[in-house]
Amino acid sequence: MSKKLIKCKINKQEIEVPEGISIIEAFKKLDQPIAHYCWHPGLSVAGVCRLCMVDIEGIPKLQIACNTEVKEGMKISNQSEKVKETVKWGLEFHLINHPLDCPICDQAGECELQEQYMNFGQYSPNMSERKVKKRKVIDLGPQIVLDSERCILCSRCVRFTDEVSKTHELGIFNRGDRSEIGSFKDKPLDNNYSVNTVDICPVGALTSKEFRFRQRVWYLKTADSVCVGCSTGCNIKVDYNEEGLFRVRPRYNKEINGYWMCDKGREVYRLPNRKGRLLEAQVPVPRFHGDDGHSHVGSGHSHENGNPSVSSVEILQKIRKLFLVDKKENKNANNVLILTAQYTNEEYESLISFFLDNLGTEKDIFYWKNNPESFNDFDGLLLRGDKNPNTKGLLEILENKKTLNSWEDLESRLSTGKLDTLWVAGPENQKVYPKLEDEIKFFESHCKNIIWWTVHPLPISDLQNTWQIPTKTFFEKEGTIVNFSGIKQKIRAVEVLVSAALSLSESVTLLKGEELKKEEPPFLKPPMKTNYFPGKKKVI
Amino acid sequence: MENKLLSEHYDKEEYSSLKGYQSYGGYKTLETALGKKPEEVVQLVKDSGLRGRGGAGFPTGVKWGFLPNNSEPRYLLCNADEGEPGTFKDRLIMEKAPHQLIEGMLISAWGIKSHKSYIYIRGEYQNCIHIMEKAIEEAYSAGYLGESIGGSGFRHDMDIYIGAGAYICGEETGMISSLEGKKGQPKLKPPFPAVKGYLDKPTIVNNVETLAAVVPILKDGVEKFRSIGTEKSPGTKFFSVSGCVQKPGNYEVPLGYPLMDLIKLAGGLREGRTLKAVIPGGSSAPVLTAEECKKALMDFESLSELGSMLGSGAVIIIDDSCSMVDMLSVVEKFYHHESCGQCTPCREGTGWLSKVVDDILKGQGRIQDLDLIKGISENMMGKTICALSDAAALPAISFVTKFREEFEQHIRKTLSQRKSGMLSA
Repeated sequence: MSKKLIKCKINKQEIEVPEGISIIEAFKKLDQPIAHYCWHPGLSVAGVCRLCMVDIEGIPKLQIACNTEVKEGMKISNQSEKVKETVKWGLEFHLINHPLDCPICDQAGECELQEQYMNFGQYSPNMSERKVKKRKVIDLGPQIVLDSERCILCSRCVRFTDEVSKTHELGIFNRGDRSEIGSFKDKPLDNNYSVNTVDICPVGALTSKEFRFRQRVWYLKTADSVCVGCSTGCNIKVDYNEEGLFRVRPRYNKEINGYWMCDKGREVYRLPNRKGRLLEAQVPVPRFHGDDGHSHVGSGHSHENGNPSVSSVEILQKIRKLFLVDKKENKNANNVLILTAQYTNEEYESLISFFLDNLGTEKDIFYWKNNPESFNDFDGLLLRGDKNPNTKGLLEILENKKTLNSWEDLESRLSTGKLDTLWVAGPENQKVYPKLEDEIKFFESHCKNIIWWTVHPLPISDLQNTWQIPTKTFFEKEGTIVNFSGIKQKIRAVEVLVSAALSLSESVTLLKGEELKKEEPPFLKPPMKTNYFPGKKKVI
Repeated sequence: MENKLLSEHYDKEEYSSLKGYQSYGGYKTLETALGKKPEEVVQLVKDSGLRGRGGAGFPTGVKWGFLPNNSEPRYLLCNADEGEPGTFKDRLIMEKAPHQLIEGMLISAWGIKSHKSYIYIRGEYQNCIHIMEKAIEEAYSAGYLGESIGGSGFRHDMDIYIGAGAYICGEETGMISSLEGKKGQPKLKPPFPAVKGYLDKPTIVNNVETLAAVVPILKDGVEKFRSIGTEKSPGTKFFSVSGCVQKPGNYEVPLGYPLMDLIKLAGGLREGRTLKAVIPGGSSAPVLTAEECKKALMDFESLSELGSMLGSGAVIIIDDSCSMVDMLSVVEKFYHHESCGQCTPCREGTGWLSKVVDDILKGQGRIQDLDLIKGISENMMGKTICALSDAAALPAISFVTKFREEFEQHIRKTLSQRKSGMLSA
């Protein structure tokens, strides 16, 4: 249902807005600056910061823009001296009991107190009394730390837990300038959406244990991306710099995630970071030990988990030679392709086409589904049990290729007898494959060779049959993923953190014997700085 | 002279019981009212020009008229949270004539077609609570409450809700929040309570004295009521006179009564004292100087012409023995303590004001603090959800403007004392 449009004037600029919207929304539509703290587009109106004051022609008193509806022909302005003076004083009221500890505050640089002071305040302070002292460094839950002195009591976090997460942990205790955010009987703020309160906190009162003190925000760059934590596909902003990725935050998408994302999804920033990643390709252990014919493949040094490591280009050329050109190891080829739903459509297309052209038939392609018990879970808000970002995309492609074989099919196929080679596009996020170790063992014991594309080294050392090829993460490649509801979203290649990593498409190029276009120089500044204050859960 | 429209029989002990109340014609008016249509009752109250006695002086009939014309359940709340410093008139009504209040509430409830009402009594009024509880019980057993009141078919239930001592719960939306079991904080308006109040249903909140005054309006008629008081402020009003007078207490006089006469009625000043100032309408009303008091008439219009307000009718008399700095410090401490903390200007402003005034009192003041007090106050006024910040700002502005000399003197005196080491810094 489209709403009736009405005309109004904002700072002398005419604008048509849908009936029933508030003045502050109209200001936002026009991109007109307006001071505010408590108003948030995703929450109910509290009307308590009293900063979004506007002059409306015909109304003697200033009105708050967040709780006043736009009416036909309204003339609204926030440019008058009266409004400016009120906003200045409003800011001063906010700041008189604020500790002004910006140099040690984690919010500095993205603090709305700082921003709005620069935009609307710039007064010289009148306060010479002692400030109200409140509790500091309060452990609010597994993810959040509260500093009550910094809090300006905008109540956004309280409204978030009431209206969005519906967990109702937070409230404002006491009254007057002794008011403090807290939870009843110190029940922890522990829900799947708790870190959103950090995002919406306009000041440094709520900080995330995972992120606090790890980076000054002005040293961070921001890139748009899509969360790969589950099939919802929340839109995110990734904050990163030459030291790696540090956090992800939700990016507004009306269709998918609104203003929010879950705490689980926030962990995806760890995936592309070098720590724990497979930095070079690995070849099977015994095959190349003592076998002179192949020893040139190994570069001599061994990776942590015992398998010798080599350059990924080299190894793919070697694989091409062994399994495709020479067919030495590939007599009476019996190849199987196993796909997890954590890659882009483009990668699936190229790998499947290549497989069908060179290695096997439609019967040989299998879809590897994780946690089937909780696969269809949904918490009613954003978090889904399907922990793969592109299940829908993969299934569509498999359907188009008329090759939809399930895990059970694979099991019966594997148990028929020893296969030659398994080609596995393994999960980018291994954590969401709870039975991964058993499954690797199962694969190993049922075939001669496994070519495994993986972001992180497989959790089992000394694998006897497995070639591991480092793979690019969502942050390093571009492509299309399709979320649970069928919305296609593009992800963008931002930076490459592991120069040996290849996308499936790039691997296919090499397998075809074609030249791969030259890699960009590694983006990270070696050596990586050690972080002495790693964010640990349950530890402040 | 007092005009005892409501308090005619307050001196009789039996008046607080049902039998006693009935023996003076009690509940007769309810019967007549139930014989009229609800719309007629509302019209009568509208015509009478009765204005809210809680502080704002909003015309009661007009307020009732804001109710939406639908069949939703609606509530009548009686505001007995009398919290304005200096006010003690509702207590008198509840203690002396609980049935008068119940009768007034029943007539009002019939007028606004409400079947449920609450009396929100402040927790400190233990005596009132007991008396009202007993009176409601009596009214139930006599058939004035419950199903089909007096055989009229009108059903009404009444309950008492005990507040926990927060000043802000005397604000109507704060009271509604509190009654709903939430933290007593005023709600954002619009929507107004008449449209969306208690449990999101249409709700009318009236002061004890307002509801009690409905009885004489229906009993004696609009003409009689309008013949008392002034054109725009008809009727009588209880004034709680306190402070430096010889006979502090409640006095019921017609609105428009001269302030100086009211002081005389309350026994006048103590011997040898001169009048310095009067706070005419509770601690939130701007103070009047002795000069202004001479022309002050106690009605809504006259006092607002003088830049003050009638408020709840708490008249605080200040003579030359009192320090205005001390007075303001007490007032600001109160508002600092009572601010609900929701809106920033009030939460921070009340604390700031209190600290600045307190510093002046303790001898740490600076002359420029007086302008700062004005600056803070002016920017608190009209900038918040409810009027508590105005209530804190108005006395501050009026005290430091009208008694600036005394404040300056105090600052200079304490400064020199501090310099000479008599006052520790």
